[in-house]
Amino acid sequence: MKRWIGVGLALLLGGAVVVALVVGNRGGGTKPRELTLVRGVIGSEKKPFFDDQRVRAVFAGHGLRVEVDTAGSRQIASSVDLKKYGFAFPSSAPAAEKIKRDQGAGRTFAPFSSPMAIATFKPIVDVLAKAGVVRDSGQGYQVLDMRKYLDLVAKGTRWDKLPGNTAYPARKRVLLTTTDVRTSNSAAMYLSIAGYVANGDDVVTSTAQGAKVAQAVAPLFLDQGYSETSTEAPFEDYLSLGMGKTPMLMVYEAQYASRLFAGDGSIRPDMRLLYPSPTVLSKHTLVPLSPQGAEVGRLLQEDPELGRLAALYGFRTASAKAFDDLVAKVKAPLPASVIDVVEPPDYDRLEGMITAIDRLYRSGAAPSSTP
Amino acid sequence: MSGDVQAARAGRTRSHALRVRRMLSVLALLAATAACGAGASTDTGSPTAAPADGPKVLRILAGSEIKDLEPLLKRAEDAAGVRVVLSYAGTLDGADRVASGGADGKYDATWFSSNRYLSLIDGATARLSTQTKIMVSPVLLGLKASKARELGWDGKPVTWNDIAAAASARKFTFGMTSPAASNSGFSALVGVTAALSDAGEAVDKPQIEAATPKLKQFFSAQTLTAGSSGWLADAYAKQGTVDGLVNYESVLLGLNASGRLAEPLTLIYPGDGVVTADYPLTLLSSATPDKKELYGKLAAWLRGPEVQREIMTTTYRRPIVPEVRPDRRFGSASLVELPFPNRRSAADELIGVYLNQVRRPSRTLFVLDTSGSMEGDRIDALKQALTALSGADTSVSGSFSRFRDRETVTMIPFNSAPGTPQTFTLPERDPGPTLQRIRSYGEALEARGGTAIFDSLRAGYEQARSSAGSGDFTSIVLMTDGDNTDGSSYEDFASYYRSLPVKFRTFVVIFGDSNVNEMGKIAQLTGGATFDARSGALAAAFKEIRGYQ
Repeated sequence: MKRWIGVGLALLLGGAVVVALVVGNRGGGTKPRELTLVRGVIGSEKKPFFDDQRVRAVFAGHGLRVEVDTAGSRQIASSVDLKKYGFAFPSSAPAAEKIKRDQGAGRTFAPFSSPMAIATFKPIVDVLAKAGVVRDSGQGYQVLDMRKYLDLVAKGTRWDKLPGNTAYPARKRVLLTTTDVRTSNSAAMYLSIAGYVANGDDVVTSTAQGAKVAQAVAPLFLDQGYSETSTEAPFEDYLSLGMGKTPMLMVYEAQYASRLFAGDGSIRPDMRLLYPSPTVLSKHTLVPLSPQGAEVGRLLQEDPELGRLAALYGFRTASAKAFDDLVAKVKAPLPASVIDVVEPPDYDRLEGMITAIDRLYRSGAAPSSTP
Repeated sequence: MSGDVQAARAGRTRSHALRVRRMLSVLALLAATAACGAGASTDTGSPTAAPADGPKVLRILAGSEIKDLEPLLKRAEDAAGVRVVLSYAGTLDGADRVASGGADGKYDATWFSSNRYLSLIDGATARLSTQTKIMVSPVLLGLKASKARELGWDGKPVTWNDIAAAASARKFTFGMTSPAASNSGFSALVGVTAALSDAGEAVDKPQIEAATPKLKQFFSAQTLTAGSSGWLADAYAKQGTVDGLVNYESVLLGLNASGRLAEPLTLIYPGDGVVTADYPLTLLSSATPDKKELYGKLAAWLRGPEVQREIMTTTYRRPIVPEVRPDRRFGSASLVELPFPNRRSAADELIGVYLNQVRRPSRTLFVLDTSGSMEGDRIDALKQALTALSGADTSVSGSFSRFRDRETVTMIPFNSAPGTPQTFTLPERDPGPTLQRIRSYGEALEARGGTAIFDSLRAGYEQARSSAGSGDFTSIVLMTDGDNTDGSSYEDFASYYRSLPVKFRTFVVIFGDSNVNEMGKIAQLTGGATFDARSGALAAAFKEIRGYQ
């Protein structure tokens, strides 16, 4: 039985497992330990981790039972009623910063992170390398040059027009597939990257810059047509339906890494992971809303077993060792570290850009391919 | 439980010609025997009735496309602890209800072949919680093997442009569902437009405009239409003149395996791309925590490798989990996915252009019972139904059901004898004044006299024969609320119909105290369908028929 097959669905087992653990832990006739329930609202990509029985066992060992609801990071920061939660755990630092500010939280925990990456296929990498868009980083991994990619998009380039492309002569535009930037954090991280480049290799720090940049990079999202609301759905398409549907997909490195570590065969030999240059880190940041919530944050950051488990799910943790060990163990083609990482804009600037793009969606303005 | 299964089976057998019923009909898989009563047929629902609930029941509002999963879903109770109760609705009709909040509290989840259109409606996404894809099937062209060979498309790369060129030269004909009623038709329309527009990005107004002439060429070869993919496949299997079908790969493979086709279909995988249905099982935001748990269990069970393999083998859909690979039947072509519009305005524009400019025009005859028994609520319901089709229904599905530009509508009211036919021809644009005239005509209908069903139906056929233009979609709607009291009998009509050189389908609305048996026979004889409006709104039945016209 492949351990990871059920990962995404382990939530079902959650309830039963807790009972079993509590009963199992009671030892020599002593009463089962009363667990304190802590509720959290988290980005959906961390749910399999929180539902993992081994993770639940560690928390139970500390007297905690952690139950989570999922929501988009932007939602958590803006519309979710946080009163019933002991912690909020969005997938990005900007969202966490906003929650911290709104809730007057004293501190935050950033126990794990994952760089944004591009899941693609060897023939696509070859074609893009020929076009000068993909190059070697010199650090043992390949990168997608964002500046050159934006130029390609600006020209409205189609796959079948790329020189020497016999591997993927599709009559559709060269566009990275992303989720819907209005609902999903991974797309907002992509917006941060594209925005940095479009802003002359600088983080967007003013409203005026934001407005200009949003206008420039909007076609990256609008021209794709319909996009999904959660990051897992297009990744699943990538894995199951292959290159025809999703030639290049913006993902969290963790999504790809966890599949590699699981060794379940879902990453097939022609699949490749690139990193955009520059990239940003999706810094999963926990904002405690109660003392128990703070304890969850502390454990995630300090407990070595939780760190090891987080690495299994593809996250990079404070101690690099857990991740590196897994990479070595399955000989995963993943770099020890990713350089050329830039910061995302702060929450208000990022939100401003998303709102501007949302307005373009609503206005029904024809997408323009000339940023 | 077994009684229930039997009831469902009996219902299905009886409904051979009645296959297309009120789409809102509640099909209780396991739970609703008590609610339906012994021996009840499957069409017990009304648009407002909520399906039976229970502690292990997950109430799902579904597209009729997933009907073929019923046998599998019956096992979910034992295997996953979830009793699945399905209620069916058309894609746009279902989207209407979810977006307006009409599904909240009555259903816990939805399961349509795609959520894409729904997601474009303002406020709809807030009503949806977790979405879990269960399986996938691209929309393709299936063509009679001999025709595919003749066109040289057998094992050779073909594009939508090639297909459109051949269609334009009338080298083949095909059937497709109405994009306003069914997802397969809508997906095909999006795909063909994206491919023909040559734009490479998601289609929007300018691309639609640019592609319209080519779309007209392509759809000039469409000679069969339907409101649902299943009915379309049945209708195709029963005839020999249409050369192919645009439908889900699963339906095309299923037809080939059914042994019902005189000649197998060759599946054409257009090299420039397809639009793929991904069947997201979707939790409604309004669902309670218990239901959320049931949803999680069902989704997990459906995505287990064994069930995924079973879905693939028994329903010809491709598995969604990467652990299970599609087998040989699905071929090895890499399917390029064409972009789908991300704006409601673009999607609506596309459907509107198809209905009012691109497709072949329809000629529609309404043979309407205005006998004495229609007096009161019934005649009012009829007036309301005609008003709705004349542009008064502004819901998503309603606005695409109105009498279309270029359509010829003939009203033949009847009582003891057929009345005088009145024909309205909608112009190519600016349909307002004609729609207003139809509305006024409907408003003036009066109920009196007897019921000469078969004389009047025959009058309808005579009228259709005398005026049918070649290339139009001609069909007859028969609405009656009681038994035949005057004139010729069903048998007389049947022998008349058999003698006709050109046949037209009759879509029958069962209403009031209709003779269900005889109405079913008319539908079966003419290759039409029955629509039961006894427990639902007459306007809803009329609206549903529009998908077949």
